[in-house]
Amino acid sequence: MPLYYFNIYNGNGLTEDEEGRELPDLEPARLEALQGIRSILAEDVLQGRLDLRGRIDVLDEHEETLFSVAFREALEIKDAVPAADNAG
Amino acid sequence: MIDAYLLKLRARDAVSEEEEEAIRSLFSEVKEVAADKTVVRAGERLHFSIMLLDGLLCRYKDLRDGSRQISELHVAGDFADLHGFTLKKLDHSVMTLTPCRIALAPHERIRAVATEHPHLARLFWLTTNIDAAIHREWVLSLGRRTALARVAHLFCELRERLAIVGLADETGFELSLTQTDIAECMGLTPVHVNRTLRELRERGLVEFRSRRVTILDLAGLKRVAEFDPGYLDLEPEPR
Repeated sequence: MPLYYFNIYNGNGLTEDEEGRELPDLEPARLEALQGIRSILAEDVLQGRLDLRGRIDVLDEHEETLFSVAFREALEIKDAVPAADNAG
Repeated sequence: MIDAYLLKLRARDAVSEEEEEAIRSLFSEVKEVAADKTVVRAGERLHFSIMLLDGLLCRYKDLRDGSRQISELHVAGDFADLHGFTLKKLDHSVMTLTPCRIALAPHERIRAVATEHPHLARLFWLTTNIDAAIHREWVLSLGRRTALARVAHLFCELRERLAIVGLADETGFELSLTQTDIAECMGLTPVHVNRTLRELRERGLVEFRSRRVTILDLAGLKRVAEFDPGYLDLEPEPR
């Protein structure tokens, strides 16, 4: 199975993946990135914050970037209607 | 062959030479097993229990979608499925995480030794109680600790358990686990583990690289983990 690396870019800069993971192809690699982002964001939410400014770059075994997944893509967000409703 | 097991028992109570001989007589066979092999499958009828001589084993359960929860790691000197002696079948599976050397203890021999040496029977009971205490500590981690504290706690626990059998000191220990293994222990994802390891490193607490855990600040690591080794029951006393 091919080896994929998952480098995280967010407020802390780059967190490089030195280990990588063997996965069957690109689709599981994309899912791995999405689940990783959700896991990180869930922890942030438990601590009362949500910072969607980040991404994961998925690299192949030659360390060529295959694609990126923005943190924002990992979530379906439904925000409350602001102001008017809340004021009542 | 069972030196690690004797170290583990003697950290908790005296073991006489006669008892040591009885323990040696438990084992019928030593086997080498490759990494990532399931050695006990949940539900199968068991006729022997497994002593880990070398390597790392884990207890695990899977959901249908393939997601896995490791519920305990086993290090050299652990009787990984001694509870299988009374249960006769396990509610979880046991697999190798690294190449392992294991010794098999047929259940009829455990029965004979436990009958003839009630003190050893009590020590066998004690070690399954310690496994249960480890499970409770992991429940606390999974339910209540942050990702940072979970991973910190796992390293503290492994350092303590490996130190008993001479495989760790204050500076660290060898640990042939992947980030995926750690994620499956601590209910995280490999990506999240990677970010958590970075934070532990940046805080100057611990570094996990090239299959070695290097402790940078043991007191600080314990503080972040809220690690109290009391649950590992390390005070020798008559049992």
